[in-house]
Amino acid sequence: MSHASLPLLSPRPASPDEAPVLAVRGLRTDFEARTGTVHAVRDVTFDVRKGQRLAIVGESGSGKSALAMSLVGLVPPPGRVVGGSISLNGKELVGLDDNGMSQVRGRDIGLVFQDPMAALDPLRTIGSQFVETIRVHQDVSVRTARKMACELLAEVGVNDPARRIADYPHQYSGGMRQRVLIAMAIANDPAVVIADEPTTALDVTTQAQVLDLLAKICDERGNALIMITHNLGIVEELCDSVNVMYAGRFVESTSARSLFETPAHPYSQALLDCVIDPATTRRGAMPAIPGSPPDLSVDEPGCPFAPRCPIGRNEPRCATERPEPRTLSTGAVVRCHFASDITGGEA
Amino acid sequence: MSTAHEPLLKVEKLNKSYGRGMSTKNRVQILHDVSFELRRGQTLGLVGESGSGKSTTASCVMGLTGADSGLIEFDGVDLTKLKKAEMRRMRRRIQMVFQDPNGSLDPRFTVADLVEEPLIIHGASDSAERSRRVEEVLDRVGITVKQAQRYPFAFSGGQRQRIAIARALVLKPDLVVLDEPVSALDVSIQAQVLNLLSDLQDELGLTYLFIVHDLAVARLMSHDIAVMNGGRIVEAGTSTEVFENTSHPYTRALLDAVPGARRRAKALAAAGDGPSQEGL
Amino acid sequence: MLSTILKKLGVSVATIFGASLFAFILLRKVPGDPARAIAGDTATPETIAALRKSMGLDENILVQYGKYMESIFRGDFGFSYSTGTPVGTLLSQRLPATLELGLLSVIIAIGAAVLTAGMAVYSRRRWPDKALRISSSLAMGSPPFWIALLALMVLSIQFGIFPGPEGRLSPGVIKPPAVTGLFTIDSLLAGQWATFGNALWHLVLPAAVVALGPFAFLSRLYRNQLRGTLRETFVTVARSHGLRRFPVFNRHVAPHGLLSLLPAASLLFADLLAGSLLVEKVFGWPGVGSMTADAIIQKDFAVVQAVLLLAAILYVVVTLLADVLMAAADPRTRVGAR
Repeated sequence: MSHASLPLLSPRPASPDEAPVLAVRGLRTDFEARTGTVHAVRDVTFDVRKGQRLAIVGESGSGKSALAMSLVGLVPPPGRVVGGSISLNGKELVGLDDNGMSQVRGRDIGLVFQDPMAALDPLRTIGSQFVETIRVHQDVSVRTARKMACELLAEVGVNDPARRIADYPHQYSGGMRQRVLIAMAIANDPAVVIADEPTTALDVTTQAQVLDLLAKICDERGNALIMITHNLGIVEELCDSVNVMYAGRFVESTSARSLFETPAHPYSQALLDCVIDPATTRRGAMPAIPGSPPDLSVDEPGCPFAPRCPIGRNEPRCATERPEPRTLSTGAVVRCHFASDITGGEA
Repeated sequence: MSTAHEPLLKVEKLNKSYGRGMSTKNRVQILHDVSFELRRGQTLGLVGESGSGKSTTASCVMGLTGADSGLIEFDGVDLTKLKKAEMRRMRRRIQMVFQDPNGSLDPRFTVADLVEEPLIIHGASDSAERSRRVEEVLDRVGITVKQAQRYPFAFSGGQRQRIAIARALVLKPDLVVLDEPVSALDVSIQAQVLNLLSDLQDELGLTYLFIVHDLAVARLMSHDIAVMNGGRIVEAGTSTEVFENTSHPYTRALLDAVPGARRRAKALAAAGDGPSQEGL
Repeated sequence: MLSTILKKLGVSVATIFGASLFAFILLRKVPGDPARAIAGDTATPETIAALRKSMGLDENILVQYGKYMESIFRGDFGFSYSTGTPVGTLLSQRLPATLELGLLSVIIAIGAAVLTAGMAVYSRRRWPDKALRISSSLAMGSPPFWIALLALMVLSIQFGIFPGPEGRLSPGVIKPPAVTGLFTIDSLLAGQWATFGNALWHLVLPAAVVALGPFAFLSRLYRNQLRGTLRETFVTVARSHGLRRFPVFNRHVAPHGLLSLLPAASLLFADLLAGSLLVEKVFGWPGVGSMTADAIIQKDFAVVQAVLLLAAILYVVVTLLADVLMAAADPRTRVGAR
C-alpha cells in the first residue's frame, strides 16, 4: 500500500542548533533473569527537542516500554540501566539516586500509562491523588492544589470538575480515567511527556478523543511528546519523527513523512504493509511478517531481523555482521546493510 | 447435506437482560432484538466497542448464556429449545476460540494432551485414532509432534493461539466462534494467525462468527459485517456495503476514529474532494 | 444492598443454630455418662436412673435440644454440677479475664504482623523477608500450650522477667473496683497505677503466647497482599508522579494490605479461641478457656455447651462486623458507579 500520496503533518522539529531537552546516548538496560541476562534496551541514542512529537514504534518485546521506564528510572527489578547517558537540559539522570530521580519524575518528565483502569488507586478519591501529585513538586496548600486540579481536569475535558474531583476512580469510565491521568502527568508542567501505549486499552472512538486531547495539550503547552506505540496509525496522526525499535535497538530513525513515504529498513516496510485501512481494503490475505521476534537474552552477531527479512534471509552478511547506523540522503538513520534510498523508494 | 449459501446459523430477535429481582426497572437490557444470518462457509464479522453486546451474542450462540427470548437456529435446529444432553452433542459442532489463549490452555497439561482432551470429552474411544487426529490438526496449524510434548508456557502468544485453534478444530466443527482471537497479539503475529484462519476456512469449509473490535481485521476476514452498538445491530450487510457505502452514523464514527485513517479523511475533506462527512 | 444484608443475617442465625445443635448432639454422644459422674462411683443403678430422669437425659435427643434452647432464650444457661454454680454466673465471672487476654492478643498480633511484614516488604533486602517467613512458619507449627510452657519455664521461672502462673494479679494485690471487669482498664479508671502495672505484667506473657499463632498467619497474609499491591500499576503511576518510596508505600500500598486483613478477622477469632483454651490453663488464667478445659475433663456438659454457643455467636458477630467494615472501607462497594 502506498502512502506517498497522503498529505502529512508538517514536520516541526525545532532548529537543530537549539539544545535538545532530552539527549539519550548509548542507553542500555538489562534484566537479570535466571535463564540469562535479557538485554532489553541496547545502545539507544536519540534527542528530543522542545515541542517535538517523537514516536517510538515497536512490537511487544522490542524493549520500548523498558526504554520508557529507563528514562524515568523506574525499570522494575531485576532490570536496571547498565550503561549510557540520559541528559535532561544538561543534567545527567543515569546514576542519580532515587530521591534525585523523584524530583525529575512528574516535574520534568510526565508519564501516561497504558491501562487507565489500573493506574489509579481505587481506595482514594481522584482529588486526593491529584492534590498529592501537585504537592510533591509545588509548595502550595491543599486548597490551592485542589483548585489547580479542578482547572486541569476542566482542561482535559472533565465536566463539572468541582464535583467530580471528589469521586473515586471506579466512578469514571476508562476514557475519562485516561484524561485524568493525562491531567496529572502535565500537572507540574513537565518539559517532556512520555505516553506508553496510552490508548491501547481503550475503544476506538475513545482512543480518537484521547489522541486529540494529547495533541491539543502538546500544542498549547509546548512540551515534547514521546509516544510509545505499536500502532503506526497513531504515529501518522500525531508524531513528526519516528524511531522504529526492534530487538532493543532503533533500526530506523527518521521523520514521520520519510517513514511513511520511503521506509528504508525492511522491518519498517513490513510494519507499514500491516497497516490496513478498513475503508479501502478488500477481504483477503493479510501481509504477514514470518517468524517471531528474537530472544533478547541472546546477543546475536548479525542483524536480529535477518531471519524474518526478505533480504537478510539470503544474505550471509546479515547473519554474521551487525549493521551499524548509517545516514541516508533522506536524513533517515538506518541499521541495515542493504537499506538505501532506492529500496526506500521501492516500498 | 445442505448447500452453500443456505444459512448455517440464524439468529432472530435475540433479547437478553441482566439484573437482580423480577422488577424490570433493575434490569439492564444487553441485547435488543438481535437478528442476523450466517451462511455456510462464510465469515460474519460482529463489530463493536466494549459493551456493545457482541460478546454476549457469542455467548448466547455458544449456549453459555441463556437468552430471554429469540431464536438461535443452527443447521435447522433451534438451540434455545434443546435439552442439556442434546446441546452437549450439538456443542461438538460449534467451537470457540478466545481472546486470551493463556486462559483457555491449562498450564499443567502438554499441548498434545490439551488438543486431545475435547476428543476424550466427546467420547472418541480409539486412542490410536485420537492421536492421529491430534497430530493431523496440530500439523495443520504448524505445531510439530515434538513441540506438542511441551507445556503451553514454552510457546509464544501466537503459537498458543494456534494451539487454541487446533483444540477447537480437532472435533471437526461446522461453526467456529472467534472471540477477538488476535487482539492480544502483535501486528506481525496477528497476520500469521489471521491468514491461518482464512486458509483453514477455505480448506475445511468452516463457518466463522468473528467477534472483533478492529475494523481493519474485520474487513480483511469477513464476507458480511454486522455493526453492534448498545445491544442493537445498527448496520449490517456485505463487507463492501458496510465499509464503502456506510449508512449508519455510528459505523461512520467508528471508521473515522481509526488512527491514521482519520487524519487522511480530514486531509481529504480539507482538500475539498473527500467523501462527505454526514453523520458526524 | 438490603437483600444482601438479610441474606447474611439469615446465614448468621443458621450458623448459630447449626453450631449449637451440632455441639449438643456431639456432647451427648461422647462416651461416659454425666449422671454417673455426678452421682459418684458408689451410686446404685436406681439412683443413676432417677438422676438421668431428673436431668432429662432419658428423653429423645431433639426434645432435649428443644428444651435446652428454650431455657437459653429465658436466659438460663443451665447448672454447672462440678462447681455448683449456674453457668450464667460462671460466664459473667470468667468472661472479662478472657476478654482482656483476647483483646491484648489481637492488638499484639495485628501490631506485630503489620510492623514486621511491612518492614520486610518495604526493605529491598532479602533477609528480612526470609527471617519473617521462617519465624512465621515456626510460630504456625508450634502448639500454643507448648510455647506457653516453654515461655513460663524460661522467662518466668529461669529469668524471673514475668510472674509465674498465678493468674491476673500477684497474691495480695487487691482487685480494682469493677467497671469493665478488665483489670488494666479498671485500675487506670481508679488511678491505681501500681495495680495497673501488676495487671499488665501478668497479662503480657500469656497474651503474647496466644498472639503467636494469629501473628504468624496475619503476617503472611499481610506480606503477600503488600507484595501483590506493590506490583499494581497505580503504584508505578504514583512513583512516576514523583512520590518517593515511603509515601507511596504508606498511602497507596499499606491501606490495601490492611483492608485485606479484615476478611481474616473470623479466622483470627477462631485461632484466638483455640489458642486461649490450654494457654489459660497453663498460666492459671481465670478465664473461660481454663474453665472450659476443666469442664471438658469433668464432662460438665452445661458449661461446655454454653461456651460453644457463646463462641458461635461471637464468631458470627465478628464475621458480620468484618463484612460491614470491609464494605464501608472500600469505596468500590460503598459508592456506586456514576
